[in-house]
Order: sequence, then C-alpha cells, then structure tokens
Amino acid sequence: MTNDLEKKTTPTLPRFRPNTDVLEREDGFHIFVDMPGVGKDDLSIDLRENELEIRGRAVYPREENAKALHVEFGDGEYVRTFTISDGVDREGIRASLKKGLLELFLPKAARFKPRRIEIQAG
Amino acid sequence: MVIDFSTYYDMPRNLDSFFEELWRPTSLSQRRVAYPPVNISETEEELIVTSEIPGMDTDDVELTLNEKSLVIRGAKKNEVGNYYRQERPTGSFQRIINLNVAVQVDGIKASMKDGLLRVSLPKAKESRPMTISIDAQ
Repeated sequence: MTNDLEKKTTPTLPRFRPNTDVLEREDGFHIFVDMPGVGKDDLSIDLRENELEIRGRAVYPREENAKALHVEFGDGEYVRTFTISDGVDREGIRASLKKGLLELFLPKAARFKPRRIEIQAG
Repeated sequence: MVIDFSTYYDMPRNLDSFFEELWRPTSLSQRRVAYPPVNISETEEELIVTSEIPGMDTDDVELTLNEKSLVIRGAKKNEVGNYYRQERPTGSFQRIINLNVAVQVDGIKASMKDGLLRVSLPKAKESRPMTISIDAQ
C-alpha cells in the first residue's frame, strides 16, 4: 500500500480518516475536518504540489489511578490528503483549529471567480 | 469543478482505508456505533465521562443529570454552502449514560478542550470503598 512506510514510523497510534465536509461558497472552498483531541502543536498541514496533507495526533492525558469501564474512542492519528487543482490560490490558503475542528479555507484564484460580464449597448 | 474530489481519484486511498477497517483495533469495537463516542472510567472517588464532540460551543451542549443517568444532548449545525462531500454528522444527538453508583450532585464538574468533553462526577460518600478498622480486644 502507498502508506506502508509512514505506518512503520508511528506503529503505536492507530490511524483514522477524520470525517470531513467539503463545501463551496462564492469566495472559495471550505474544508471542515473533525479532529477532536488535537491541539495546535499536534497538527501539521503540508502542501506538496497538488496534495494537501493534514496530520493530527490526539493523545489524551491518562487519568490517574482510573480504571476504564467503557471505551469507545482512544488515542489516534488523523491523516487525510486532498488533491487541489489549479483553480485554488495557494498563497491564500488559511487554516484555523478551534475546539477540535479544523477549518481550511481555499480561496479561488482570481480568474476562476464568478464575475458579471457587462453588455455593451450597440 | 475546480477541485477533483471524485471517488475515482481517491482509489488508492480507498483501498488503504478498506484495509484499515479490517485492522481496526478490537478494543475500540464500539467505535462509531453511537454519536458522540463516550469513554467512562472510574477511580475510588469519582466517575469520569469523556466524549469527543468536536466543533461545539459549550453553550450548545446540554448536560442533564437524572436520578440514575447522565444525558449529553446537543445539535450540530449545517454549514452554509454547496456541499461536495459531507461526512461530519449533523442534527441533534443524545447519549444516555447509566450511572451505577450514587453521585454527589453539587460536586460535578464539566469542561471542554479541543473538542473533548470531560465530566467528573464525585461518588457519594456511601458508595466509596471504606476500610473498617478492627479494634483489638
């Protein structure tokens, strides 16, 4: 598989594909990625050519002397890659992480923005 | 379309995720069955309930303590725009956690950080383990 190498480097954390919304508004594309437990320091966003890769590590603090009664989630690494076309203004990409939700904003390059064409009266 | 999000394009990664599903750790067998996922642990003094609810304001999550259960309730809003892909759950959600011990109502604390809700419920004095000293005679 394509990610074999990466798996070997972090053998301890299970990897997850985070749930993602992709939507388009007039100004550009907005990507919302659920990354609960990930702080700013545990998140990396890399743009290589057309691939935008998001990686976040969620490592929860251990509860002292606590006994687990019921477990539905745990530590993990979120990895997701997006392919970006030429229509996106790369310099303008913005990211913000709030309350475990990553929001990426990919503005459209000026020439792809919708615009009105003036009709000249003849 | 400006961005190619077609499933076709994602093919090698889809295969990867298929294998990841197979190798998913068995300890997390209940993952994604109910929303939001909840962990429960206990110490001698308290019960600790944690839940992954990303992107929510503390005001939008409602915690209710009934006689024998803790209820986590809330609603996730839809974003405005033209969706290409929607995987994040939206709408209202509710989890009911049965408490098998009595808790001290006035000592309950709840906090949220990075999308993780943490509720600590101190056990009532009667339900804590107690050592009884034996008087020598």
